[in-house]
Formats: sequence, structure tokens, C-alpha cells
Amino acid sequence: MALLEVENLVKSFGGLRAVDDVSLSAEAGKVTALIGPNGAGKTTVFNVVTGFDLRDSGAIRFDDEPIPPKRKPWQVARLGMVRTFQTPVGFPKLTVLENLEVSGSEGSTESLREALAGPRAWGDEVGKVDRRAEELLRELGLWERCDVVLEDLSVGENKLLEFARQLINDPRLLMLDEPASGVDPAAIGRLSSLIRRLRDQGLGLLVIDHNLSFILGIADYVYVLAEGAVIAEGTPDEIARHPRVLEIYLGKGEVAA
Amino acid sequence: MSSGWILYAVGVLNLVGFYAIVAMVLNLEAGWGGMWDLGLAGLLGVGGYFYVLSTVDSSGLDLNFTPGWPMLLGILGSGIVTAFVAFLIGIPTLRLRGEYFLITTFAFAEMIRQLIINESDFTNGTLGITSIDRPFATTFGGIKYEWVLLGITVLSVLAIYLLMRRLGHAPYGRNMRSFRDNETLALALGKNVTRRRIQIFVLAGFLLGIVAPLYVWHIRAIVPSMYGPDITFTAWTALVVGGIGSIGGSILGALLLVGFTQGLLFIPVSAEYTNVLSAMPQLLLGIALILIMRWRPDGLIPERFSFTPGNRGSGGRFLRSRAAAIGGLLGRGSPEQSGRS
Repeated sequence: MALLEVENLVKSFGGLRAVDDVSLSAEAGKVTALIGPNGAGKTTVFNVVTGFDLRDSGAIRFDDEPIPPKRKPWQVARLGMVRTFQTPVGFPKLTVLENLEVSGSEGSTESLREALAGPRAWGDEVGKVDRRAEELLRELGLWERCDVVLEDLSVGENKLLEFARQLINDPRLLMLDEPASGVDPAAIGRLSSLIRRLRDQGLGLLVIDHNLSFILGIADYVYVLAEGAVIAEGTPDEIARHPRVLEIYLGKGEVAA
Repeated sequence: MSSGWILYAVGVLNLVGFYAIVAMVLNLEAGWGGMWDLGLAGLLGVGGYFYVLSTVDSSGLDLNFTPGWPMLLGILGSGIVTAFVAFLIGIPTLRLRGEYFLITTFAFAEMIRQLIINESDFTNGTLGITSIDRPFATTFGGIKYEWVLLGITVLSVLAIYLLMRRLGHAPYGRNMRSFRDNETLALALGKNVTRRRIQIFVLAGFLLGIVAPLYVWHIRAIVPSMYGPDITFTAWTALVVGGIGSIGGSILGALLLVGFTQGLLFIPVSAEYTNVLSAMPQLLLGIALILIMRWRPDGLIPERFSFTPGNRGSGGRFLRSRAAAIGGLLGRGSPEQSGRS
């Protein structure tokens, strides 16, 4: 049974069918990739699945539980399905560490009652999140920057942090929207190995990216989207040879790769 | 200096304290919660009127609601009633963003003022109420009342400051500052932003209701014109000048702004210049705001100052110092001091 199942998903904006009858699934312990040209509807799929956009029709199931159409984004996130965004702004006025603390803290730690009770009430919990944050930041090579306000970080650093911010919640399905864009080549290597290791730990990953070599290197299964519809799916090897994919990415009559 | 001058200065300080509190509450809402409220005056009006009506000596007044409660009950009641009004206003307005929220809250404040003017069976209309008892009015017989009120004001400022510090440094405050800047991400992290916004708005209403009597005690009367937009804009300017988002900025802003503009009125000038002088506060306010916006847009005490001391790639120094502080509070040593470096 797949962790996430999307069936016949449709989403229109005015006259434009941004997502046109898309079905896909993502499994735990696998990296599922969603590729396609700009405007293919990849991010819209993410938005609808995570509750940021309302769907027109179609069914979404997470861990075999149907997600009703009007579920709020924060409710979907609490199921253990978390996403990142293309533009990694994070929480700009907070430090790197604070960003992770926000992500890693549960509702009760952040309640008014605990705030009024003072550090005695929330100190232990925040300490726990901090230790987990330190682990993640060391892994991503960001620990030295933990007290820096996000506004002062580089784009690449922000991108890596976006990753950490979602991981700290121990999600079951991690949805990454272009994790490699804006990240320097050296860091992409680290990112790939991190994604593989997370997969091996049993996390499900659904990844959108434009960087074909990056994504075909990490994916177990690939869906190709164009103009809102799935035009091809298969293993990275199959996709790399698929004529329509080559046409989209390389143009007609240039099948030299 | 004659004692009249000193008393005047003490009165100004009372006003400074009141504005410092209002600006701190505004900081909670706007500086941290991201809700740019222009309706402070309305909520202060609700609190002020409820306090006065519920505690006033009804003899000589023919109003519909004058139960003659003790002061403490009146203060608490005004907190609760103002919180409830904030809740009613918050339900429709908090769905709006940015400038739309701003305009709607402004409209609600104006509606409240018109209600106060028109419901004269309850509020005595534009005539207002001038017989207002003040706390500890006879306890310290030997000294002028302004000094007593100064004591109350200073204690109130301190209490609100400590409350804001506590809220600001708690995960609660961090959560606010996070969705203020990026609501989408907060939602993606599973935070129920809408519910939190309403909670903050109601909390702010409660605090404004509690402190509203300070203003009434200072003026020694209550009339609808006390709750015009002036009060809102002065608090906003104090907040922006002092530093929006920081904890102590509001106090500094109120001190500079209100202290300076009120003090200015006392410069002795010849009669032909009095009209010039009376226009000066607004003029200087505008210039100060322009200068701050141009050279110090984060205010005199920026948000960073309150929350991230010594942030510049310090590699966990802040975390360690805070862990130690928390550990100290809990009566334990700092966790894993040796494991880091």
C-alpha cells in the first residue's frame, strides 16, 4: 500500500486546467520524482495535495485515510505530510536555530498557558528540539551559522535550512519543491546523499526538480508531467530513454543523449 | 523650579507610561502577531467607559447602567468586556490581510466612538462623566495625587514589560514572529494560525481593558473625544520610533515621543509665537518619523536586539548561554556542556 495516493486529480484556474486527471502514488522508503517543464502543474499538484489549493475533483489518500477536499493546510501537515517551497524565505527575522525551534515545537509547547508559566514549563521541550536541531544542522554543515538571522543567510544556505526545518518534525512523507535549485554543486552532493539516507530510513519522499541529473540520480520512480497530465512514468532508466521525455527536455530531432 | 513644573512633569510621565503600555500591547499584536491594528482607541474606549460606568457613584447621574462596583472589580470587568468586544471585532476582521485589516479596525474604532456619543442613556453622550474616583486617593494624604498615580503607572509599565518579555521569549512569541513573516510556511508546518491570531487579538483586548482606567485617572474625566484616532497614531509612532518587534522599544519610544512633545508645550515663549509652538509637536513628530524611517528603519531598539544578542556566526554561543540560563532556572546544570564546541 502506497503512503500517498492521488487519483484523478483535477484543478483548474479559470479556463486553464493546471492539473488534468493526474494519478500518482508515493511509497514509504522510496524517492518518487515529479518532473516536467515549467507550467506543467507540478507545484499545483503539491499545493492541492497539501491543502493550499482546493481541488476540483479527485481523491487523495494518505496512509489509506482519505483526505477530505476542504482539509486545511495545517491539518494536512499534522498528518505527517510536509512540504517545502520553491522560494526559501523561511522565517526571515528569526535565527537559524529559532527557525528549527518553531518547526519542531508542538502546539502545546507554544500555548499561551506555557508561555505564562515561563521557561520552567517549556524549557525541557525546547532543549529537546535544540538537540535534534543541532544534529540536523551539523549534518547540513550549518551549525556554525545557528545564531544568524535568516535575512543574513545565502540562498543556498536557506535552501538547506528549508530541508532541515521540515525534517525536524519527523514527517512520514517529505515533499520537496525544487530542493536543488540555487544550491551549489558541492552541496548538491550532500543533499543527494542525505535524501538517499532518509529514504533508507523509511521516509517517503516526493521530489520536484528541474535538475535532471540530480533527480534521476536519486529517484526510484519518476512521473513526467506536461500541460497538467502525466505523460510518462517509470524507473529513471526508462524515463531517460523515453522518447517524449527526450523531446520535452532536448527538443525534437536531437535525440543524441 | 516651582512645584507646579514638577507636578506637570509627573503628569507627563503618567501619560508616557500609559502610552508605553499601549505601545507594548500594540507590539504584541502588530510587532509580533503581524496584525496592524488601527482600532486601539475603540478598545480603550470600551475599557475606559466600562470601568467608569461600573464603578462611578451614581448619585446625580441618571444612566441605565451604574452598578457602583468596587474599583478592582471594575478593572477586571473592563478587561473581560474589552476582550469580548475584541473577539467580536476579530472574528470578521482577522480574515482580512494587511491594509484591509487596518482600515476595518479603524472603522470599528470610529463606530465604537459614535456609539458612545449616541447611546447617551448609558454614557451621558458628549458631556461625559467628570466625577471619577481614583485609587488610593486619600491613602497618602500628604502628597499630591500625581505622585500616587505615577507609582501606579510605573508598576503597571513594569508588569506589562515583564509579561511581554515572558511571552516574547517563550515558544509562544517565537511562533507569533514566525507566522507574521511567513504565514504559508507556518501553515505547512502544521500551525493553526487563525486560531492563534484571534487569541492574540483577544489577549490584547483584555490588556487594553485593564490599563484603560490609567488614562481616565490621569485625565480625571471621560468624554468620547478622548478616544479619537490620536491615541492610536501616537501609540503607533511610539512603537515605530522605539523599534517595532523589540520588547523595550515601546517604552523608549513613548518616553521620547510623548515626553518631548508634551514638554515642548511648556517652553516659555512670547504671546505672538504661541500658535507656532502649539503646532510644533506634530511637526517634530513628522520630522522624527521621517528621520527614523530614513536612517534607522528598524527603530531605535531593533527587534534583533531583543532576541538575538551577539548573532554573527557565533556557532552556538547563544544556544549554550540560553541552555545554561534555562538550566539555571530549572536548578540544573547546563545540558551537555562538554559535547559542544
